[in-house]
Amino acid sequence: MRGLQVSLNQTQKIRLHRALEKLESFSSKSNPNASVTVADTIPVNYEDGVLKGHGTSELDGEVVATLCGVVERVNKLVYVRTLRARYKPEIGDIIVGRVIEVAPKRWRLEINFSQDAVLMLSSMNLPDGIQRRRTAVDELNMRSIFEENDVVCAEVRGFQHDGSLHLQARSQKYGKLERGQLLTISPYLVKRRKQHFHHIEQYGIDLILGCNGFIWVGEHVEARDDMIVEDQATKSEQQDATTSMYPTSVEQEERTYTPLETRQNICRTANAVRVLSTLGFSISVEVIMEMVNLSSSLNLDIHEMLGAEFCVLVAEGEAERRSLKKKKG
Amino acid sequence: MGSMKRKSLEDPSEEQPGPPSKQQRENNGSAVSDEPVACVHDVSYPEGYVPRSNPSSVEAGKTVVALYAIAMSLQNKQRVIYTSPIKALSNQKYREFKEEFSDVGLMTGDATIEPNASCLVMTTEIWRSMQYKGSEIVREVAWVIFDEVHYMRDRERGVVWEESIVMAPKKSRFVFLSATVPNAKEFADWVAKVHQQPCHIVYTDYRPTPLQHYIFPSGGNGLYLVVDEKGKFREDSFQKALNALLPASEGDRKKENGKWQKGLVLGKAGEESDIFKMVKMIIMRQYDPVILFSFSKRECEFLAMQMAKMDLNEDDEKANIESIFWSAMDMLSDDDKKLPQASLGTSLFHMSVSNMLPILKRGIGVHHSGLLPILKEVIEILFQEGLIKCLFATETFSIGLNMPAKTVVFSNVRKFDGDKFRWLSSGEYIQMSGRAGRRGIDERGICILMVDEKLEPSTAKMMLKGSADSLNSAFHLSYNMLLNQIRCEDGDPENLLRNSFYQFQADRAIPDLEKQAKDLEKERDSIVLEEEDSLENYYSLLEQYKSLKKDVRDIVLAPRYCLPFLQPGRLVSLQCTKSNESSPSFSIEDQVTWGVIINFERVKGLSEDDANRKLEDANYTVDVLTRCAVRRDEVGKKTIKIVPLKEPGEPAVVSVPISQAKSLMLSCHSLASFLFKHSAEYFPGLFFRNGIDELFPFQIPMTAVASASLPLVPEIDSFSSVRLLIPKDLLPLESRENTLKKVSEVLSRFAKEGMPLLDPEEDMKVQSSSYRKAVRRIEALESLFEKHEIAKSPLIEQKLKVLHMKKELTAKIKLIKRTMRSSTALAFKDELKARKRVLRRLGYVTSDDVVELKGKVACEISSADELTLTELMFNGVFKDIKVEEMVSLLSCFVWQEKLKDAQKPRDDLELLFTQLQDTARRVAKVQLECKVWIFLLPCSLSSLYFLEFVIMVQIDVEKFVSSFRPDIMEAVYAWAKGSKFYEIMEITEVFEGSLIRAIRRLEEILQQLIQAAKSIGEAELEAKFEDAVSKIKRDIVFAASLYL
Repeated sequence: MRGLQVSLNQTQKIRLHRALEKLESFSSKSNPNASVTVADTIPVNYEDGVLKGHGTSELDGEVVATLCGVVERVNKLVYVRTLRARYKPEIGDIIVGRVIEVAPKRWRLEINFSQDAVLMLSSMNLPDGIQRRRTAVDELNMRSIFEENDVVCAEVRGFQHDGSLHLQARSQKYGKLERGQLLTISPYLVKRRKQHFHHIEQYGIDLILGCNGFIWVGEHVEARDDMIVEDQATKSEQQDATTSMYPTSVEQEERTYTPLETRQNICRTANAVRVLSTLGFSISVEVIMEMVNLSSSLNLDIHEMLGAEFCVLVAEGEAERRSLKKKKG
Repeated sequence: MGSMKRKSLEDPSEEQPGPPSKQQRENNGSAVSDEPVACVHDVSYPEGYVPRSNPSSVEAGKTVVALYAIAMSLQNKQRVIYTSPIKALSNQKYREFKEEFSDVGLMTGDATIEPNASCLVMTTEIWRSMQYKGSEIVREVAWVIFDEVHYMRDRERGVVWEESIVMAPKKSRFVFLSATVPNAKEFADWVAKVHQQPCHIVYTDYRPTPLQHYIFPSGGNGLYLVVDEKGKFREDSFQKALNALLPASEGDRKKENGKWQKGLVLGKAGEESDIFKMVKMIIMRQYDPVILFSFSKRECEFLAMQMAKMDLNEDDEKANIESIFWSAMDMLSDDDKKLPQASLGTSLFHMSVSNMLPILKRGIGVHHSGLLPILKEVIEILFQEGLIKCLFATETFSIGLNMPAKTVVFSNVRKFDGDKFRWLSSGEYIQMSGRAGRRGIDERGICILMVDEKLEPSTAKMMLKGSADSLNSAFHLSYNMLLNQIRCEDGDPENLLRNSFYQFQADRAIPDLEKQAKDLEKERDSIVLEEEDSLENYYSLLEQYKSLKKDVRDIVLAPRYCLPFLQPGRLVSLQCTKSNESSPSFSIEDQVTWGVIINFERVKGLSEDDANRKLEDANYTVDVLTRCAVRRDEVGKKTIKIVPLKEPGEPAVVSVPISQAKSLMLSCHSLASFLFKHSAEYFPGLFFRNGIDELFPFQIPMTAVASASLPLVPEIDSFSSVRLLIPKDLLPLESRENTLKKVSEVLSRFAKEGMPLLDPEEDMKVQSSSYRKAVRRIEALESLFEKHEIAKSPLIEQKLKVLHMKKELTAKIKLIKRTMRSSTALAFKDELKARKRVLRRLGYVTSDDVVELKGKVACEISSADELTLTELMFNGVFKDIKVEEMVSLLSCFVWQEKLKDAQKPRDDLELLFTQLQDTARRVAKVQLECKVWIFLLPCSLSSLYFLEFVIMVQIDVEKFVSSFRPDIMEAVYAWAKGSKFYEIMEITEVFEGSLIRAIRRLEEILQQLIQAAKSIGEAELEAKFEDAVSKIKRDIVFAASLYL
């Protein structure tokens, strides 16, 4: 809420303040000692052995935090979960990133981590899905798969021995993202879920909640049918082996034209995410859809969603929801 | 490469003019796309059928398909993966392929060579973890070759194959190589379904070198041809062989199980032992080289010792052996060369390095899993070079490695399977006899069975000519599998279950079941009865009456009451059936007969709390002497049925269980042991593979047992007050016969007034309200019977019988329908739910299936119990202890053998071990609370339906805890401290090979723990694990394989 950039009038200010206070009263129940800043001592019971996890270090016989965040304990393990820090990758996370460099046999991606992630050519499915070793020709054609500034979705594969972070694309649904918007929010707002890919049929859009805080809202792309892709691939190979797999001719562009309605839906959803992130609410597909529905039921224009009134409404709505939940619980 | 491709194409099609019987080749091999998936299997010996006329051309039969796949993918710049179940086999294959193609790499837990090569040989476990980790190889592999895919039925590891096959990339193609399995079609259908690719079967049961099966009767002098090369069983010479069995076997056999091989090993004083005679004869007839299989490591070495006098090698061969031996041993340090295993014969008859040489030089070798790996490999090499003429091996030698001999000898035809000796199964026999006959060298292979006791021709036929074991799923869930599946975005454990071979087999059974149900319904409807209603009424009264009677009996027979009256000599009446009757009787009177109590004993449970139980609560069995009809069926199994005294039969002792079984849950132990002992007799096809240990303890709902139409457990009806004097020695038949005569005498004496019985209330002091209530109700029912209109009908018995049949049919139909319902539902679904519950409870995953930190750690651990190890780690146990102690503690996770009198580890290690036990106990308890049940899979699913019930095992906390063995803690501690290997061998009494394997596996776990520590960010711990690896990874334990 720190960076709230909306100009509010007096009543809205009061309403927002009230809603936020209410929200705070619900959350402040958790242990206040749990949050630490750098060099804070973390109280632990030394007698029965402590495992010092991420974000901790030992200084003069005391466990101190090396990051700002919340202290988490799992059995004897103590670690610090950061809030407004950069993304910390974990194996299996779904992330969205932007290609910043095409390097030999690999792409470098910006994923809001302290270093650039590496996506090896061999970790990426070939466009035709064929199983084979990558050749020098493949390497030369890397730009036909991803170019600089392309937005890509991938899975965190893990850290290699040299400490670099590697990504991979397990199946055809990973890869280049086109015709949509990329939003960047704080990674802590994205909760890890079983599903990070969402297809919202009602609006014909895809929503990818990257664990690194990069959110993709785009036109729905049908998961490419393997057989068809193969056919196309063989055809294009027959035509000319040297042309890239995805020719960007005029016809192609016409075929991939995004209807206005879908574009509006994309914008509306993206604005919902923006509102939620400015308010600092954690983001899940349900909440986003709730916001979208709320805005359309109020007959708000897309741009009005970023206005002060809607923002306050959302905050109040959330406060209401949580208090209800509280009562039920 | 091109030529390779041609070669492999032509081999099958051209060089084989008249295709041998039963052989189909569907792939014409003109293009890869015509043969997307091949499933090749042959008669268990690894080579299929390259005709003898051209032995030098290609070395392989089924391997040819693999070679073809490799050649094709190398040509197309695609990757190919070759997986095999055993590290040793991987090493061999690596060497083989490396010679053929240069671009070959190897990945096993022990060694990694050129992991970037196009053709990768690896163990199936490595391939699976690669798929979970999303290695780039997965995206490049065009062909995956699964060798020895019949390993899928392996109880412990089989599931790895299923996982790998289900998860394999959809665009890849597969070759499955396997020993003969009768249900290859089923397997192929499954692969085709899972991968949406056609799957061809290339099949032959043609043997290039036909087999002759001989019998060598113990104590006899000659061989008798029992099955000739055309597969004909010769009854006459079989009988001759049995007649040649020494009559002495009559007396000796009394003490069967333990010492029955004595004759084999020691021989009569002054005479040569059988095995010596046998080997001599083989050498004389030039039947060498020979492999002699025995079923224990000890016996193997013992038999080899018998050969001490024999010398089978020439001088130049000796020199050869010596040079090979020492050049192999060169890589060992001087200290290791002095290892006792290098010198034959320590307290345990362990074969060891320098002592082994003299034996080897004489052309005699030993091969079993307890040997030092390096010795094992030297022996394999020597055997392949033909320098070892006579190899004593265990069953492991028959799997995988391609090492045929001219002759195979079975030193036993029975094998100890953890609980008792049983006949070899035909599948095992096929596997081992497959080693006989070297293609292109021998005209025919020779199999010799050393038989030392009578066996029925049918048993022999079953064993010698039976079919191979069929390929059945041994699927089971593990936490590591679940976590890995949950962690993947697309992964879904349910999906894996749905695609598993287990599910496929279950689904397949449905049409069959439907048909069964229909047939039974038809049968039931065809039975028509007059006055059915009143009959039914009478029937239900009868049922009630019987169940009440049973209640009364149960109360009286509770150990609490009857224990004081179980003295030897007391006459008891037993329930019995007339010999010519199979369905239960319908008169009000029970069929009873009389017997004498000989003894009673307490049933020993395996779990300790059994021992702490009060005297009254324990379970007992009572041995009762009575007349029985003993029948032997074809397989030689005995069925014992109690019959009335006057009918023909032998006097025999039966054990009658007496237990505290009150509720519907039968006391687990007695039933389990009963089931186990009798399973083979009553339920053909049902085996509990790993012996009785696995069965404990479990509870079967009584209803399930009843519906399984269990044979009648003998039951005591009542006690008489009469006691007889019984002779001390009941072993001779006459004394038993006499005792029974006495019983009849007593009976006739009391014929008029009836046998004086112990009155439950007055004599046995049964005081329970339920007893009195039951008695009153019985009386009421008796009066009802008399009044019943239909009771007087003359044909009442027959009519009731028909009705009973009808009822049974109805029950059966119900059961089949239930099985059908449960198989349409996802198998393992409940277990999956329960296991997920466990993971949530322990904080490994959240309620919406997101893997938490602990889960991520457990994901990394695949070679040991993941939950216990993760809990230990998070409890900081590894943090405070020294590296050596930690290694020693981890050894408990890898050691599974049970040592009888292993010394206790020293105090500080003991303390750590208790910590481990506490953690394990906690984990097990959570599992118990979350109702994790484990299916006990019988051998084949079809028998499961036949049985109509499924055995479920609940996790037993104590058994789980005791599965961690502290036996090698000391040794591993010393090893980590830097002791020499011979020093640590002095600490424990285990086989060298087993210890080495354990330490290697330990290193594997440490590597996984390093990854785990990394993922939680605990740098100190990570460093500690790395330190541990460097401490144990040295010298002979990690000596490289000779094949590399």
